[in-house]
Amino acid sequence: MPSYRIQYSKKGPARYVAHLDLMRVFERAARRAGLPLAFTSGFNPHPKFSFAAPLAVGVDSEAEYVDLELSDVLLPSEVAKRLSASLPAGIAIGEVHVVPENRPALMTMVDRAAYRVEGRLSGTLTDAELESAIGDFLAQPEVFVERKTKSGQQKRYDIRPGIFAMSGTVKGDIIFLEMELKSGSSGNIRVDEVLSALQEKLPLLLKAGGFAVSRTGLKFIPRESVD
Amino acid sequence: MDILDRILLEVQKPARYAGGEWNAVCKDWDGVKVRIAFAFPDVYEVGMSHLGLQILYGLVNSRPDSLMERVFAPWPDMEEKMRENKIPLFTLESRRLVRDFDLVAFTLQYEMTFSNVLNMLDLAGIPLRAGQRAGNYPLVIAGGPCAFNPEPLADFFDLFVIGEGEEVIGELLDAYQAGHRRGLAREELLLALARVPGIYVPSFYRVDYNEDGTIREVAPVRQEVPERVVKRVVRDFDRAFFPVRPVVPSMGVVHDRIMLEVLRGCTRGCRFCQAGTIYRPVREKKTETLLKQAAGLVGHTGYGEISLTSLSTGDYSRICPLVTELLGQHGRRGVNISLPSLRVDSFSVKLAEEVQKVRRSGLTFAPEAGTQRLRDIINKGITEEDLMEAVTAAFLAGWPAVKLYFMIGLPGETMEDLDGIIRLARETLARGRSAGVPPGRLRATVSASSFVPKAHTAFQWEPQSTLTELKEKQAYLAGRLRGRGLVFNWHDVAASFLEAVFARGDRRLGSALEYAFRLGCRFDGWTEFFSFERWLEAFRRAGLDPSWYAYRRYECDDVFPWDHIDTGVSKQFLALEHKRAMKGGTTADCRLGACMGCGLCPGLAVEPEFAGGNGNAIV
Repeated sequence: MPSYRIQYSKKGPARYVAHLDLMRVFERAARRAGLPLAFTSGFNPHPKFSFAAPLAVGVDSEAEYVDLELSDVLLPSEVAKRLSASLPAGIAIGEVHVVPENRPALMTMVDRAAYRVEGRLSGTLTDAELESAIGDFLAQPEVFVERKTKSGQQKRYDIRPGIFAMSGTVKGDIIFLEMELKSGSSGNIRVDEVLSALQEKLPLLLKAGGFAVSRTGLKFIPRESVD
Repeated sequence: MDILDRILLEVQKPARYAGGEWNAVCKDWDGVKVRIAFAFPDVYEVGMSHLGLQILYGLVNSRPDSLMERVFAPWPDMEEKMRENKIPLFTLESRRLVRDFDLVAFTLQYEMTFSNVLNMLDLAGIPLRAGQRAGNYPLVIAGGPCAFNPEPLADFFDLFVIGEGEEVIGELLDAYQAGHRRGLAREELLLALARVPGIYVPSFYRVDYNEDGTIREVAPVRQEVPERVVKRVVRDFDRAFFPVRPVVPSMGVVHDRIMLEVLRGCTRGCRFCQAGTIYRPVREKKTETLLKQAAGLVGHTGYGEISLTSLSTGDYSRICPLVTELLGQHGRRGVNISLPSLRVDSFSVKLAEEVQKVRRSGLTFAPEAGTQRLRDIINKGITEEDLMEAVTAAFLAGWPAVKLYFMIGLPGETMEDLDGIIRLARETLARGRSAGVPPGRLRATVSASSFVPKAHTAFQWEPQSTLTELKEKQAYLAGRLRGRGLVFNWHDVAASFLEAVFARGDRRLGSALEYAFRLGCRFDGWTEFFSFERWLEAFRRAGLDPSWYAYRRYECDDVFPWDHIDTGVSKQFLALEHKRAMKGGTTADCRLGACMGCGLCPGLAVEPEFAGGNGNAIV
């Protein structure tokens, strides 16, 4: 049955939709759109959606991906058109294309995610000072954060290998940061972990809790390495 | 980033406050004449499961001259952030302040939400008491089942709407606009609104008390208002407004499915049941109407489940053809049907079998009492054979578990009735074993709630059992409903006690409620927030004894605090029902033909409406 890879953005009120609720939002949208959904077999059939990478609640995104299987062939543009008209405020469909059969699950192909962070400074900071603080931060061989394991225990975890790039600028009292972090089923670094670790290098300069975070893109493992 | 969005990152489930759901309506604020905030005094997930909200929201927003937006009680974590950052209560659609609306309309579904009503007014920056709202504050109004005894909340509301909202809401909006055009001051505006049938403005009524604290009289202080406010009943229920574009939440809510109301009212006449009185007469929609509404709802919501809702859906006269048609039209698209209220009979089980392919959870039945004698007292017209046939049918059809709902503390209850509950539960398990349910999966869950005497019922004269008695009865059951396959659930008796206090309360309770709110009472329906100690302190400060209200046995000719609210069912009929109950006599359902003389149809000039046909023919 045909599969479609759907790119969408998630902003405005939709950025508060939790990852686990997204499936429900898309299922209902697809039904409103009259798309011929393919269902899993078994006693409790559900439609075959597969999301690329969970997005934290409250984070905007410009480029999310979901794979959807249908029971009939439709033109990708038709899927895009129908879904666009049926999604709640803040979710907008970008490109849709057909996924060839037997491709690995979308989730296993995600490698990195790019983020943009905007926050208000509580003191003055120059671009040069910021650059040097980021430099110091990235120069650390290890950056440990506390993570909770599934059993509820605290565990130290080195996030440094998962931070691939970081840069920033200051405009007035607003600070902008860009970063590229490890994402996907083989390891995931959260923006808030990076921000709280960075605050140690930029003491008192970032006001806690006031960051607007956007995911600007997902990078996939190059096709040849999975095929 | 604005402050509200920042706060939303710091609270649990921010989607509760975000709005933007499918079918949410954002109208131009300046393009309408009347703006209503619909206020639900519980959390979003509960409020969005309420069909009445969807009906009124759709109805008001379908009028070009009006808009309605929604607001729910913020969860305590959100309340804390809002107070800390001085963010007043706002609506989801436009994030406008609730106090900027013309009307703030609460629905009163449950007594234990009353503290949330006060908290929401306070968060909105609206003075709690109607008498302190001179000038530009919104009119604070309420409807819903608890408005049928509005007295405990009389000081806090400008007006109450008694009965069904579909017609009176339009009349209210018209009268409000007319009053506004004429430049009426607040009191004159209320007087104009009080002339709309079904509208009760408590400040126009004076309450006189006897020396023993009982009510002598509730009488109008203005000659323009009616002595008794008669409930509103939708004339042509089949053609009444029903929303086919309800708001579809993006987060999980309690009832996360299409709610298709198939009929309204129930005339089975259970004597403890307030809904049976206030929603009379029985009116069924035509099957064609329901099919049309279902098709619209499936297309406009995308839900994968249609729940056929009512007080007793199995009573719908054309239930089988309806279910068959719905499955035929929508089943292939992965849309299921569910029946939330099953009668205790094998027919209902066959029906459930028809619609439910997955049998993971159990079927629920409500025998309410453990012996035939007590079931006759409460007029629950089912027998032990009915129940045993029903559970056997459920087990044979593949359900491994059943839930049985009972009430404890009913008038006339003895230890034999408690033993009856235990016996029925054990007999249910025995039926399961004979039906071949694997012992590891077989389960009978018994839930026992505590009887709460409610206004406008045959038991309104009866006292509630004391807290001690109820606790002892729970312990008695808990000690005996043990063993493989048995599960016993019960409710906090303190919450039931307070429910009883307010259900039969009078105006004086307003001060206790206000103290309770000031002491921090919130979300009293949620065990994690409910504090009986705080409530008792509130009553002490108000100088009121809550047990006087809960444990009071009224005399037959006593005046009730709610006697000026007219449900159409006569007090004489209820008194007769009370008398019959005490003798163990039963009363038939008027659906079967003979009029039982409740007084409703002649009094309100209405009639039951049926869809016709014999629904009990199995498909």
